[in-house]
Amino acid sequence: MRRAIAARCAGFWLTGLLALATGCGNNPYAEADPAVKIRFSPFATPHRTLDPAEAYNVTAHEVTGLVYDTLLEYHYLKRPYTLIPGLAKAVPEAEALGDGRVRYRFEIREGIGFGPDPCFGDDWAGASPRIAVASDFAFQLMRLADPALKVQVRDPFSRIEGFEAFHDALVAARAADPAFADQPPLAQYQAAGGIRGVRVDGDHALEVTLSEPYPQILYWFAMEFTTPVAHEAVAYYDGEGQRERYADHLVGTGPYQVIEYDKRSRIVLERNPNWYGIEQPDAPGAHYPTEGAPGDAEAGLLDAAYVGRPLPFIDRIEMRLDKESIPVFNKFLQGYYDAAGIIKESFDQVVQNDTLSPEMAARGITLRKALSPGLFYLAFNMEDSVVGAKGGERARKLRQAMSLAVDAERWIQIFLNGRGIPAQSPIPPVISGSPEGYENPYRRVDLARARLLLAEAGYADGIDPATGKPLRLTFDTYEVGSGGALDREYFIDEWRKLGVDVDLQVTTYNEFQAKVERLAYQVYLWGWSADYPDPENFLFLLTCDMRRSTNGGPNSSNFCDPEYDRLFDKMEILAAGEERDAVIRKMVAIVENERPWIELYNGVGYSLAHDWLRNVKPFGMSYPMSKYMDVDARVRAERRAEWNKPVVWPAWVLAGVFVVAVVPGIRTFFRERQ
Amino acid sequence: MEPYVISNGLVALIVLAVLGIVRFVRRDRLWREALGELWRRRRGSVLVIALFVLVGLLDSIAWKGGESVGDDLLSSHESRTVIDRLFQGAGESSYSAPLASEAFYGGDALVSPGSHWLGTDLLGRDVLHRTLKGVRVALLIGGLTSAIAIPLALLFGIGAGYLGGRFDDFVFFVMSTLSSIPSLLLLIALIMALGRGTWQICLALGLTSWVSLCRVSRGETLKLRELDYVQAARALGVSHARVIVRHILPNLMHLVVITLVLLFSQLVLSETILAYLGIGVSGSWGEMINQARNELSREPIIWWNITAAAVAMFSLLLAVNYVGDALRDILDPRTMRETT
Amino acid sequence: MLAYVLRRLLYGGAVVLGVLGVLFVLFFQVATPDDIARRALGDKARTDAIEQWKVNHGYDRPLWPWQDFDDNLFFHHYSTMLSFDFGRSDVDDAPIMRRVREGAVPSLILTVPIFTLSLVLTVLLGLFVAFFRETYIDTAGVFFCVLAMSVSILLYIIGGQYLIGKLLRWFPISGFDSDPAVVLRFLALPVLIGLLSGVGSNVRFYRTVFVEETSRDYVRTARAKGAGEWRVMVHHVLSNSLIPILTQIVLAIPFLFTGSLLLESFFGIPGLGSLMVDAINQNDFATMRVMVFVFSLLFVVGQIATDISYAAVDPRVRLE
Repeated sequence: MRRAIAARCAGFWLTGLLALATGCGNNPYAEADPAVKIRFSPFATPHRTLDPAEAYNVTAHEVTGLVYDTLLEYHYLKRPYTLIPGLAKAVPEAEALGDGRVRYRFEIREGIGFGPDPCFGDDWAGASPRIAVASDFAFQLMRLADPALKVQVRDPFSRIEGFEAFHDALVAARAADPAFADQPPLAQYQAAGGIRGVRVDGDHALEVTLSEPYPQILYWFAMEFTTPVAHEAVAYYDGEGQRERYADHLVGTGPYQVIEYDKRSRIVLERNPNWYGIEQPDAPGAHYPTEGAPGDAEAGLLDAAYVGRPLPFIDRIEMRLDKESIPVFNKFLQGYYDAAGIIKESFDQVVQNDTLSPEMAARGITLRKALSPGLFYLAFNMEDSVVGAKGGERARKLRQAMSLAVDAERWIQIFLNGRGIPAQSPIPPVISGSPEGYENPYRRVDLARARLLLAEAGYADGIDPATGKPLRLTFDTYEVGSGGALDREYFIDEWRKLGVDVDLQVTTYNEFQAKVERLAYQVYLWGWSADYPDPENFLFLLTCDMRRSTNGGPNSSNFCDPEYDRLFDKMEILAAGEERDAVIRKMVAIVENERPWIELYNGVGYSLAHDWLRNVKPFGMSYPMSKYMDVDARVRAERRAEWNKPVVWPAWVLAGVFVVAVVPGIRTFFRERQ
Repeated sequence: MEPYVISNGLVALIVLAVLGIVRFVRRDRLWREALGELWRRRRGSVLVIALFVLVGLLDSIAWKGGESVGDDLLSSHESRTVIDRLFQGAGESSYSAPLASEAFYGGDALVSPGSHWLGTDLLGRDVLHRTLKGVRVALLIGGLTSAIAIPLALLFGIGAGYLGGRFDDFVFFVMSTLSSIPSLLLLIALIMALGRGTWQICLALGLTSWVSLCRVSRGETLKLRELDYVQAARALGVSHARVIVRHILPNLMHLVVITLVLLFSQLVLSETILAYLGIGVSGSWGEMINQARNELSREPIIWWNITAAAVAMFSLLLAVNYVGDALRDILDPRTMRETT
Repeated sequence: MLAYVLRRLLYGGAVVLGVLGVLFVLFFQVATPDDIARRALGDKARTDAIEQWKVNHGYDRPLWPWQDFDDNLFFHHYSTMLSFDFGRSDVDDAPIMRRVREGAVPSLILTVPIFTLSLVLTVLLGLFVAFFRETYIDTAGVFFCVLAMSVSILLYIIGGQYLIGKLLRWFPISGFDSDPAVVLRFLALPVLIGLLSGVGSNVRFYRTVFVEETSRDYVRTARAKGAGEWRVMVHHVLSNSLIPILTQIVLAIPFLFTGSLLLESFFGIPGLGSLMVDAINQNDFATMRVMVFVFSLLFVVGQIATDISYAAVDPRVRLE
């Protein structure tokens, strides 16, 4: 093996030296056929898992979203967000079954082909692809209940009738017979009896019955968790021998398939030859939309060259691992990535007076802004005896005072260059149903009032009467990439103005999570990005059921208020409208007074793209929309050549300086020798 | 006892120790001549080091009380050092260039215009202040680590060289084992296991850096043990402990000094790598550089932060390396033989 | 000779066992399997999940032989490591052996050129400076060496990416490719920085060695016999300095790796160094253990090789 490495190494260097001799430059890619439309983009970390049942973060969805498509999808252009049919023939209506149960019936398209893959037997590359049918959707729903998988979204699906029972049956069967788990997953699931509320009606219909009304379930059918999964693929890719794990090997029905996956270096995707849209371009998810939101036509998003044309436009997507943000941005400026977010270091170079700087505009770069449906907040641990619910009225006043001291506006200016708006309520304003025009009286800066509240809480000038010293709290946080924790030190400085001594403890992410689990934290910074555009997706973060401490849910502030919960249950099943809005306002008022959170900001996404990338509309939520985009590879090649001419003269200057410095010495040396 | 009291006590101890060493050097002819030679050759570097040490000591003398800084209520309850008290002005809101009178972005007037000699950082903190505070951290890393490594190295080195036999085999085995693990990896592994914090990092650094001094002092002890006067002392019935203290230890001191000086720069450089990996010492120059490295990409460029930390670190290390070089020439008997 | 080689090999084996012992104490006694499991499973792990994870990863045994002689982590650790059965990553269950094999190629592609170029360059510069000893070239040379040594590698990398990658556009700022036609462009900058960061201490070291050697009697004799200065330098001084150079090479191997830890991470080279950085960031103890072991093993092997070649060159060594 060592000799093989040595030989490869030598071969490398020989070919490489030849290549360097023929042309030096900063192009990070091999020469490519200009007729193939390639999109270049970075990814920041190696993916832990790309199993559609487990992957639950933005960077993973940028890959899974292209390979795994779903029954429903979002309309690319329309706002507020609108669901359209994807693999389903229509968006189903809820059908009440009388006893509180609800049923949805999905009619499934024909000819949904999985990407060719060796797991489908000897003839896998042949003319007849493996077609996805209703049982493949049911299989994935059963996987979501499988305790052996690290599924993070079990909760919403547990409203499907029999979901929990199926989970328990699997646990019991595996505990009773260790050999049970050695069977292929499908056989195990069938033996465990399947999920009662999921009924396969022939190959092309799937009925899902919920034990209670839950209108938001449809949004979950637009997420990769509910994609059809081939049981052969899961059984085949078991990580034994030379076979990869299913989490590292994607087999899906989406518009693209992964043809190269090296998680520590690069991911390459190409068109899926079996995608249903090739045969059915009239399906809503298979052609470019014919209508959009107001302003889209002016923005060039309804170009006649694209409207109604079959998707996708791009042939190949190349993703490179690029961990540091600065190189990513510089490569974008050099034309080697097609699109980028703005990093704060370069903001002033790119944006002036809230529009694109002339220098950037001259390069053909375009700037798009969109309010993102996300919220960042400082949270108190309500289980804590000093800041939490156990501290009673005193702790509430302390929380109110601390809330009044934090200047979100300046924080946004310093750390986000103003790319955000100070948040007022738990619900981002871009989500329809958020309390319009609401201003939170505890989210303006008022040091005088804060000090007054603090004195009322018994901590006059921040002095804790129990010790006679300033009140000491800890702010737990974890290291997020480079540059340290300056953005969090900011809050410490804000609270110093009240005389409260908050100690910032920076740990690794894992140590932080361990602390959260032990309830050994007081204040921390957290964020939530919408899974789907509904207030429920934010308000549920403060319900008792979701408490981290008792139920392991995402409510890591452990807030629990019976009245809030009562209102939540009511709100959840109400249709959008005035009645629902009123309930939401009442819930927001409870949060306002109780202050489990200090709402910090709702982000405004600024994204940059070169003009050779067409049809770009920021989407806000984490769905890759590459299938709607197009690139003009010819323009890109010209620009790259123009922008990346190396500056050679310093090399000559350096060599010159060296010669001038050394030659006289050599001459005197020899003269003296003689 | 509060940390600042300990810190003040340490300063007093260090000052006393320095006075003691000065007294000793004035009496001892060899050391007096050696240091005189060093002073003639490297006057500039010695002065630079002395300046850094002074700043470090000033930053270790702290007391409570005094006016609070700006609207920071807490500052009047905390202990602040002499250096802190030189920077009493309130912080700005964000970046400002060196000696500027207005903010770098937006051009708002500063709270204290023209008073930030090296500008302010992202959070509006005075860069000169942070740079000076880095001196103490660097000295602390060097000092604390040496305080752990040197006794360990001397104990095992002299023990192995003097006693020989099984103990020597054991020490030699431990040294080969530890030096077989790449030091940075061992360091990282130790920190992961010990946890993060100044003490833990210095302990880890100490545990990884004692081996080289141990090897040198073992070799030297082996040589010294065979010398006539040591043998004579043994024959006269002088105890082992006394032989070691009177005859072996003083003859190892020059090696300790050389190793210490050369070790110092390595420790500070290692810390910058640790800072990049997120396991460095808080307040160090490494941390400053790591926080500031992305600022080079800002347009217009923010250069003063990284430059301040880099120049401070560079000048200290350059001076230390230069002095270390000269010390080795002066004290190492082998080179001494060749120069005379 | 054979006896010496055997003795040396045995001692090397003992050192490897010692290294494994240190690793065991660090990774099992100080950070316990429970701790590792909790870090690997993250926030929502329940006790049964942690127990299950420990079973899956073989961490459910008692630690020491005196707790259970037949089935304990201590023996398990030794036997798996020594048979190169490295097991799976704590974080994503990938086989570590495969990772190490995949990472070795990019790492070697980076470190081999740094190593060879740096050796040639620094020996030549050392000779050059020693040749002109006691002129201003020597003084300036030593000064620049100390200067180069006083700068952190972090600054070299940041400055290099900024100046050469961004302002001058000579090479890509970062990245890697398995295609040899492209990879050299990526390597140029990290190799340059790797060279620069080691040049100071190495040149200074070689200069000292050469200057010391030039003051010896046989050099004077050679000069007296009328040999030219270059001939003296290359023929006599260089060939007589080979042993210190050889020692220095072996000593440089671990430093080479620590340099590439940062280089690989900054330049996005998917080698063993960035594997290590990833492992540190993700608390992947299994991978860290293996990496430390593999590098120590390489180091020990290198040391044995040097010692044996010493012995081949100089018979006195064998008797020691």
